[in-house]
Amino acid sequence: MESGSKSLIGKTAVITGCNRGIGKAILESYAENGATIFACVRKETKEFSTFIELLSEKNSVSIIPIYFDSRNLEELKNAVKQIKNSKKKIDVLVNNSGIAYNALFQMSSLDKLQEVFAINFIAPFVFSQYITKLMVRQKSGNIITISSTTAMDADLGKSVYGASKAALICMTQVIASELKEFGIRANSIAPGLTNTDMLLCLPKKFIVNSIDKNKIAKPSEIAEKAVYLASDASLHITGQVIRVEGGN
Amino acid sequence: MSNKEKYDQIFMSSFEVNEKDLPSLRYQDVDNWDSIGHVKMIADLEEAFDIMIEMDDILDFSSYTKGISILKKYGIGL
Repeated sequence: MESGSKSLIGKTAVITGCNRGIGKAILESYAENGATIFACVRKETKEFSTFIELLSEKNSVSIIPIYFDSRNLEELKNAVKQIKNSKKKIDVLVNNSGIAYNALFQMSSLDKLQEVFAINFIAPFVFSQYITKLMVRQKSGNIITISSTTAMDADLGKSVYGASKAALICMTQVIASELKEFGIRANSIAPGLTNTDMLLCLPKKFIVNSIDKNKIAKPSEIAEKAVYLASDASLHITGQVIRVEGGN
Repeated sequence: MSNKEKYDQIFMSSFEVNEKDLPSLRYQDVDNWDSIGHVKMIADLEEAFDIMIEMDDILDFSSYTKGISILKKYGIGL
């Protein structure tokens, strides 16, 4: 990982859900590595505006905020139009936005099932459809999805969240297969426990045990992998899932 | 170049067909108009006419003539 060598100079990236947690860490790392960034978040806030202004100045990069609720198709399409109208070549899309949900299978409500799939799978699916159309035209592109180890590990309480992330991984790998002839690659990063707000939805005992085992990653550790996958150092990597979890 | 000429040009270059074959051309009539060719052709149309075609219209775009009526929805007269 070449976080000190500005490996993303000349690249333009679209990052969703980058106002906190892993997304915010990816935004910071991409800026530090010289990328031009479309920073997609749900709502405009003074805090986020100030944050990207300072980040942009500090790294001498352009960060363009894009505001939309990914569950609203019209807002999503308007976001794509803004990106398209910039006439910039879109090199990387990082599908990061998502919500956590922890409930036993028999206790999972239909409402939450629909909400989690709408945000964690349907929104990135549709957004990727639109963004990859721009990439098809360019004959190049790079999709990175932020999934989860729960997609593969059958963790208790994760039937909904894990299934939504498993669907995201499947989408990523199919994109890699179907769009490779347009020079588009696609990979997924599957974080394990990571020190973000999402941790709070887990049982305290589980978190304490994980701290004891030193298994909780920093968001910056996930961001480093996202820089690597966006960089030319990973040109021949596609259709892969990279687990970042500190070992089982 | 007129809109009609641009439209025809995209079809002829995407699917390697002659102008005389265009009016009757339908999806999957020729080898190049498979799903991958379809994606590429839609991308070329969006670029040429500076539009964003809805997913439903992409799926509905089943022939050369159907495409003409779909593009009308986006203000592109052919």
